[in-house]
Amino acid sequence: MKEFKPSDKIELKVGGSVTIKKKLGEGGQGIVYLVELNSSEYALKWYSQPCKQEFYDNLDNNIRNGAPTTAFLWPQFLTVWKEKHFGYIMTLRPPEYKDFSNFLLAKVRFASLSSMINAALQISNAFRELHRNGYSYQDLNDGNFFIHPQTGVVLICDNDNVAPYGKNLGIAGKCRYMAPEVVLRKNLPDADTDRFSLAILLFMLLFNNHPLEGKLIAGVPCMTDEMERRFYGRNPVFIFDPKNDANRPVMGIHTNAIRRWPVFPKFIQEAFIQAFGNECIHEPNKRNPENEWRKLFVRLRDETVKCSCGSETFIDVDVPESTCINCGKKLGKPLTLNIGKSRVVMFPGQKTYNCHTKTGSEDYIYATGEVIQNKNNPNLWGLRNLSQDVWFCTMSDGKQMNIKNNEVIPVLNNVNIVFAGGLKGEMA
Amino acid sequence: MSLLDAVSIPRRTMVLFFLVDTSGSMNGDKIGGVNEAIREVIPEIKDISSENADALIKIAVLDFSSGAHWLYERPIESDQFIWNNLEAGGLTDMGVAFNMLNDKLSITTGFMAEVIGSYAPAIFLMSDGEPTDDYKKGLDELRKNKWFKSAIKVAVAIGEGANTEILKEFTGNEECVLTVRSPQALRKMIRFASVTASQIGSKSSGVGAGDKPQDSNQKAADFAGQIKTFQQDNTDLTDVQAGW
Repeated sequence: MKEFKPSDKIELKVGGSVTIKKKLGEGGQGIVYLVELNSSEYALKWYSQPCKQEFYDNLDNNIRNGAPTTAFLWPQFLTVWKEKHFGYIMTLRPPEYKDFSNFLLAKVRFASLSSMINAALQISNAFRELHRNGYSYQDLNDGNFFIHPQTGVVLICDNDNVAPYGKNLGIAGKCRYMAPEVVLRKNLPDADTDRFSLAILLFMLLFNNHPLEGKLIAGVPCMTDEMERRFYGRNPVFIFDPKNDANRPVMGIHTNAIRRWPVFPKFIQEAFIQAFGNECIHEPNKRNPENEWRKLFVRLRDETVKCSCGSETFIDVDVPESTCINCGKKLGKPLTLNIGKSRVVMFPGQKTYNCHTKTGSEDYIYATGEVIQNKNNPNLWGLRNLSQDVWFCTMSDGKQMNIKNNEVIPVLNNVNIVFAGGLKGEMA
Repeated sequence: MSLLDAVSIPRRTMVLFFLVDTSGSMNGDKIGGVNEAIREVIPEIKDISSENADALIKIAVLDFSSGAHWLYERPIESDQFIWNNLEAGGLTDMGVAFNMLNDKLSITTGFMAEVIGSYAPAIFLMSDGEPTDDYKKGLDELRKNKWFKSAIKVAVAIGEGANTEILKEFTGNEECVLTVRSPQALRKMIRFASVTASQIGSKSSGVGAGDKPQDSNQKAADFAGQIKTFQQDNTDLTDVQAGW
């Protein structure tokens, strides 16, 4: 199949055509072009390898059903076949979104811990929605994500292998990112194998090293296919496995994991210990559903605050004293707003979201409250109601008041809030 | 240092070897074509390496005529690699080249000592003629080398005079021997084979579609598959009426 030239026209299945403007890049499967459609620019992925009708029909079906969330750069239109080849049109990735691999290569860094946590939250949520819609992604790896370094907003590309439950298009991805049973070809990719890949990517996002690559792997001069099957398939060992220290990270090589692991809260460490433990490796249905990852990262965000030194740090809500991970300052035990299982640390800049204050809500994006500092006396903190609902508040002395949109309630011990819908919160 | 300041994730190394026949018969447009094609493809290999969190790519070049010699004493990272034009003249000491490659495909005496380890190399042989030395002994030794066994191998026969049987012995796979008969075809083949070998060789292994036995060399199989498709789609490249 010859490459297209600028001004070549490619017909779409729905009618009309796109015009090639230039080639943007080339990968194993095909070539990506910048194209014009109705005076707007899009990307065209064209398969240079011959394709099957089943693959085309699956994409057609995915296009009809639409993207699970706006995070997916979902296929929008199919072209018509040209012999055994075709392509699909998708939205262009804005340039401020950077390849995840560039974060791994330390060419790009997150502006803050919050943006990094937000990226983890967004990825967990996107895959939760994908799976809830009955799809599996099948080919998860470091090349699938673009992330905004300032905000942590994520865009997911290469959605062409996404298939409904039970369907497999025969593409199984890279060993480093695959579930052991796929590496060993005992299973084809599905939602359970996606969940293992997701745990790997989330670990890499937070710790900037691979969770299964420590001493054992560093000692292998030539990583052949057989070796990959051994370390990612037959005998994967988590680098921080508390019961098996055979594959610990190596000083000078796995520098990021060694620095970051001890700093993260215990509940995050435990989630990864479980995700890469024996049980989750061998029993795919025991893997953490995305919704649990989502809850963990909401909790991590609830407990991540900005220290007076200007850096963000984690607060352990279960201990009497937390220390800033950057400047070492002792931060005591800040008040938390306790709503159900959530404990949002009441530190300036912290926010509550619908998922905290609205009954049954899973929305972690819409902020309903924000902790602010008094302009004249920065030692006085308050929680501003950002929602349109009225909060019914009771102070420690029994005084009661309604807090409407934009009004503020002081952050003090024993302040109680009843949110619209009946959820109760207590500062303690 | 902030927690967010990271160092790059450790990457393995993948060496792309070019073995180029620079005997007298390569003189003129053949060696000229090789020089230009490799010079043009190096920036593409650099791009594949720079965006790749699995491995970085280094390049090593061995040219052989009356004797053989390495263009650089060690493999050079693709982003620092500079191609120096090769000149043609002399015999075709392919056996010497095989011996020298064999020596370097080693951790202790060769190019393969990397702190973080390597992926199997990709080895690209180009020749237009018959060996003038005892190639057989060198090739037999080379084929016992574990690095060579795991490598992605491809050979380009430049013109009708090349001994494709030896090239097949080298690659171990008929599909990975490509014959070209014009400078245009040579350039396209060098580009396609170098880029594809770099893409496949420098990534964690693909699991594949599940139709191959567990002990097969998946990367070499993936590469052979892509080469086959490329040839089927570009029949003009093997036009027997063309020049060489």
